Amino acid sequence: MIEFKHVFKSYGQGRNILSDLTFRVKAGEFIFVAGPSGAGKSTLLKMIGGLEPSSRGSIQVNGQRLDALSARARPYLRRAVGVILQDTHLLYDRSAIDNVLLPLAVAGLAPDLSRARARAALEKVGLSSKEEMNPIELSGGEQQRLAIARAIVNRPAILIADEPTANLDRVTAHKIMSVFRDFNRVGVTTLIASHDEALMGEYATRSFRIEPGKFTDHAAIDEAGR
Amino acid sequence: MKTLLRQHRYALAVTLRRLAAQPFSSLANLLVIALALSLPLLGASLLVSVEPVARQLSVTPELTVFLKTDAAGNLAEQIAKRIRNEYADQTGAVRIMTKERALTELRANPAWDQALKVLPGNPLPDAVIVTLTAGDDLALRADRLAQSWRKWAGVDLVQLDSAWVQRLEALLRFARIGLMLLALSVALVVLATVFNTVRMQALSQREEIGVARLVGATEAFVRRPFLYLGAMTCTLAALISIGVARLALIPLNSAVSSLARSYDADFMLMLPAAPALLIAVIAVAALGALSARWSVQRNTRF
Repeated sequence: MIEFKHVFKSYGQGRNILSDLTFRVKAGEFIFVAGPSGAGKSTLLKMIGGLEPSSRGSIQVNGQRLDALSARARPYLRRAVGVILQDTHLLYDRSAIDNVLLPLAVAGLAPDLSRARARAALEKVGLSSKEEMNPIELSGGEQQRLAIARAIVNRPAILIADEPTANLDRVTAHKIMSVFRDFNRVGVTTLIASHDEALMGEYATRSFRIEPGKFTDHAAIDEAGR
Repeated sequence: MKTLLRQHRYALAVTLRRLAAQPFSSLANLLVIALALSLPLLGASLLVSVEPVARQLSVTPELTVFLKTDAAGNLAEQIAKRIRNEYADQTGAVRIMTKERALTELRANPAWDQALKVLPGNPLPDAVIVTLTAGDDLALRADRLAQSWRKWAGVDLVQLDSAWVQRLEALLRFARIGLMLLALSVALVVLATVFNTVRMQALSQREEIGVARLVGATEAFVRRPFLYLGAMTCTLAALISIGVARLALIPLNSAVSSLARSYDADFMLMLPAAPALLIAVIAVAALGALSARWSVQRNTRF
């Protein structure tokens, strides 16, 4: 599903943010990406989503090599990867359901089918009663759930989320994580970057730790230990 | 195919939503472009109205050689013969209009009949009417021939009948070039206005463009609403400009027709024909879309 082979990432002539990353993620895994701020967690997720190119090495996502992917083909890969960034990037000039409808409009789905799918996505994240509300009227947790609904409405094979529970209380954070777990249970490969290791430990089945100059794949360590 | 049509429908809806979201700025842009377009349209109206008149008047160029009233009876014959012999390469038909025939023709006009009756004799001279062969240097050639024939004995006056038509045609040629330059300037104004409108829109829609790209929008999807914006603004502006030109022609025609009536003529300024207007509207819409594409390509690199 996702394969990194000796991937390096640096900006300009600066030092490598990510050095020699090699790992493989199978379909349906739930992975927690941990590490201190600035270690490159967000960069790693963006690279998987095709939002950042690697400086060196090869990345394969959903059967496609990203470094060989043309600019024309890249948007189609993005439709297969649901992305939730740290800043939710919701559009405040339209209703919650219109935010969720955007990826379906991009895909060119029929309006009636789009509306039904958007409603189903909002229902899955528990926002069906608030579909006509403007995102500004929603709480932080609800906005995060709305961003998740927008990311999953196109039925992506992979879901990546950057700090989805940051600044949320414990109860809301658990609600968000349950949403991710539900999607993972139906086969969506999920990668979540977070500082909250305790919370992630309850949900993720595998974890990556990124520290400056060091990458640890705990599944690989466990495998070796056994 | 259905997907593409749906995406176009979505782009159209987005364009209309964006236009409606800024009604005053959209209207101001429309008016600026419409007023700019109405100038060459009025110029074109003037040209298309005058050109048929010039074509009708542009009869075969003729020089009329009027002899002195006391000239010998056969002088007209001699001059006609001389012109046929010496200027055969520059002239076509050469015919004689005797003073008697001229008087008869004039009397046939009731307006002149009464006036001529009070005259003691025939005041008209014999005349030789020479048709010149056509050519680019016609006006110059006619002038040269007139000057040369004027010096002949017994000749009173040589008159180039169609000189003013030639000058009118030259004036129309000049007006056509002027109109082309004006149209070019207006095209630049349209280009700049649409470019700037789209630039402002692209900057204000930065967040939406970013999100659309995040969820897999192609660059064509991002660009499409802006292309519609450019094309729609220009189409509406072109239609408004036709309305403005029509309105402007009402007082102009009132003034022109009074002038024409004083010459016992009937003349009206009119807009170019519908097919020409349709082509112009399409061309302006294409220009708008082209400008929008250029602008969106430059202003959405983020």
